[in-house]
Amino acid sequence: MYLKGDFQDRSSAIRALRELQADGFHAADIDVFSDEPLELPRGVLDRPSRMSFTVVTGAVTLCLLTIGFVYFTQYNYQLRTGGMPIFSFWATGVIFYELTMLGGILTTLACFLWESGLFRRKRRIPVPVVVPGIISIRIHCTENQLEEASRCLDRAGANQVGTIGEPR
Amino acid sequence: MAAAPEIVPYSQVRHDLWRPLAGVSRRYVAVVSLLLAITLWGLFCWGYQLREGIGVAGIRRPVFWGFYIVNFVFWIGISHAGTLISAILRLTEAQWRKPVTRAAEAITVFALMIGGMFPIIHLGRAWIFYWLIPYPNSRLLWPNFRSPLLWDLTAISTYLTGSTIYLFLPLIPDVAQLAQHATGWRRRLYRTLSLGWTGSDREWHALERAMKLMAAMILAVAVSVHTVVAWDFSMAIAPMWHSTIFGPYFVVGAIFSGIAALLIVMSIVRKAMHFEAYLTPHHFDNLAKLLLLMSLLWLYFSFAENLTVWYGNEPKEMNVFGVRTRGTFSIYFWTMVFCNFVVPFVLLGIKRLRSIRTATIASVAVLIGMWLERYIIVVPTLAVTRLSSVSGGYSPTWVEISITTATFAAMGLLYLLFSKLFPIVSVWEFEPHPAEED
Repeated sequence: MYLKGDFQDRSSAIRALRELQADGFHAADIDVFSDEPLELPRGVLDRPSRMSFTVVTGAVTLCLLTIGFVYFTQYNYQLRTGGMPIFSFWATGVIFYELTMLGGILTTLACFLWESGLFRRKRRIPVPVVVPGIISIRIHCTENQLEEASRCLDRAGANQVGTIGEPR
Repeated sequence: MAAAPEIVPYSQVRHDLWRPLAGVSRRYVAVVSLLLAITLWGLFCWGYQLREGIGVAGIRRPVFWGFYIVNFVFWIGISHAGTLISAILRLTEAQWRKPVTRAAEAITVFALMIGGMFPIIHLGRAWIFYWLIPYPNSRLLWPNFRSPLLWDLTAISTYLTGSTIYLFLPLIPDVAQLAQHATGWRRRLYRTLSLGWTGSDREWHALERAMKLMAAMILAVAVSVHTVVAWDFSMAIAPMWHSTIFGPYFVVGAIFSGIAALLIVMSIVRKAMHFEAYLTPHHFDNLAKLLLLMSLLWLYFSFAENLTVWYGNEPKEMNVFGVRTRGTFSIYFWTMVFCNFVVPFVLLGIKRLRSIRTATIASVAVLIGMWLERYIIVVPTLAVTRLSSVSGGYSPTWVEISITTATFAAMGLLYLLFSKLFPIVSVWEFEPHPAEED
């Protein structure tokens, strides 16, 4: 079951989030919808992210794969060089650099799709329509928790509180 | 004068910024038709070149690099408008960037698409360009990874991929909003592009994090791309090419021409779309100051480059230096100095003269100057041969001139089509926050 509360200003929305979390609602069960990014103070609905770490990992991975690939292809064809090295780090360094960055860029896109939830959207979950200027809070709760959640939203100054069930 | 954006309600902001998307005026159709005709003529000329061979272009011994390479370097330089400027301003959290960024990012993507085509046009046998791509072919031969041509391929592909993602990500919230209001094919297009965006805090957080990381990476890529383009020249042991400062010199020139292109586009968008309330004199003033700064930096690099050659007095270098500054190419050289330094310095350096109009005039001068700079770099070094038995000059043919003209038309065409499909000013970023916007 999903409960939704609409707020007209940021401060009352933050108050509602604090009250909900104080009453034991998990951040994972709460979502805030708005037509612009909402700056929340630290401790209120923190969303831990591993994007930076994953992006660095992605970049390094593609870099290593490129080095391996270039190394393999340089030695793939048996050239007689009179003992001179074939694999040149300096001349291929540009390619390693560019593909390292490409790895980072593509991993960023993948991380964005994953962490935003766009990649793993569950169709069944109802989504409130975002009205410009309105901040909507959606809470996933059981029937027993419904009354408590409604009270939290009301106390914080919600304009409208109600359940939503129809998937968008 | 329209009201300042900070006192306009959000619904009005959205209405104003979405207005150009609706309807097609006669003037729009006329301009699009003209640009399309020029672009198609350019494609026809390219087709003619493919059929008849590269001989229809003016490039021949000893000048093997002509307009195509000049255009390649020029357009890659223009592409630095968006991503670099947008990324720098995003990372430094400059609030005035908000109405500017998307216009700039779109320039990057289109300029890269156009610039990236020139090496393929220049190849002559364009249909075998895929030989540059590393794939296991039947003879187990791989491309030469030490070749600067392959550096270009990887650098430009990475930059184009990154720039497209960098343009696309902040577009998602806007197309999601548009999808709610559009009908027909536009609705389907916006819905597809919005990827199911709902405006949840998870999405906003992920978007902000991704944009910060992208800004940092795209900055590094943008710098490397034009450095790689510079290395195409400086890796050759040729007079006035073999220079260690070519990398930063090209990057400075690229940012310089990029800002000029952005100012011109902003000026046209402001006038044509009636965005006077959103693209304010404040934005033009800031960008004009940046342009002036880059003009001075460009002068510094140009002077350093030429002084070193002159002081060294190495005969082969001095031959090229001579034809550039006193000989056949001197008219281009001094026009370049006039356009790149004198015009911006006078029009933008004197505060009383600095306005939207003069910033636009200075930007046009800078684009002309920067194109000439590319010409001055590419052609004289090849035209002044080091063997007495080899001689010859370069004059572009109608094919090269047509293709060059068509690329400018293509840029305008792509921009017009983009601005008809997507808001050219980011709506969600342009929230009316009085304190920030000022």
